[in-house]
Amino acid sequence: MLETSGDIVSIGLGALAVGYIVYEIDRRQRRLHEIWGVLGAHDEARTALLEKMVETGELQPYTGGALP
Amino acid sequence: METRDRIGPSQDGPVKPPRFRIFIVDSGWNSAARRVLHDNFELLRQLQRESPIYFLGRERSVELMRIYPALVGKDPIIRVHIIDRGKQRRNAGFHGFRLHLGLLRTSEDALLALQNFAKFVGTHRDSANLEADMRAKLRREGLQGALEIVLQGEAHGVSI
Repeated sequence: MLETSGDIVSIGLGALAVGYIVYEIDRRQRRLHEIWGVLGAHDEARTALLEKMVETGELQPYTGGALP
Repeated sequence: METRDRIGPSQDGPVKPPRFRIFIVDSGWNSAARRVLHDNFELLRQLQRESPIYFLGRERSVELMRIYPALVGKDPIIRVHIIDRGKQRRNAGFHGFRLHLGLLRTSEDALLALQNFAKFVGTHRDSANLEADMRAKLRREGLQGALEIVLQGEAHGVSI
């Protein structure tokens, strides 16, 4: 009986450890994709807005001096 | 102005049109990431001198945040837009990648991310598919992170 209880505890702890690893990997992946990302369809409007600012001359390349 | 301080293609060799446009959005939060960006901006500019850098000042950045409030707290944001030299079509879709530097809370993490950004753009400048390179790098980083967790039982800061 004790051996069975020990097995159950071991299996439980193992499952917790695996669960933690899966959770941590998922958390890191999400964090990574929050920080770095490829511009996609969801970014298109922002991208278009910035490109339009360049096209219209509203934005000029930075050429030196103090940052705005 | 000296040649080395110029934005745009180097005057030393054949002049190539820039492949990227780099946009920096910074609404002015008093953050470690902002300080790191400002402290190292000149170096970043020199490293990316082939690409024009468009710095949205506080006013324009705040306007952008008002249109897209989900961006609040993620700035400084660095966006790299790939200029489609072949097509130059507005409807061809936009390509590139972005770095939400403001999500990094410590100056060490922000500096590492900025260095990795400069390295990635520099080493993939002539890549046929920069986005695929970025996706591959993110996958590798994800796997590396998983290995770190399994082998060391701890998670370090996120960077590529």
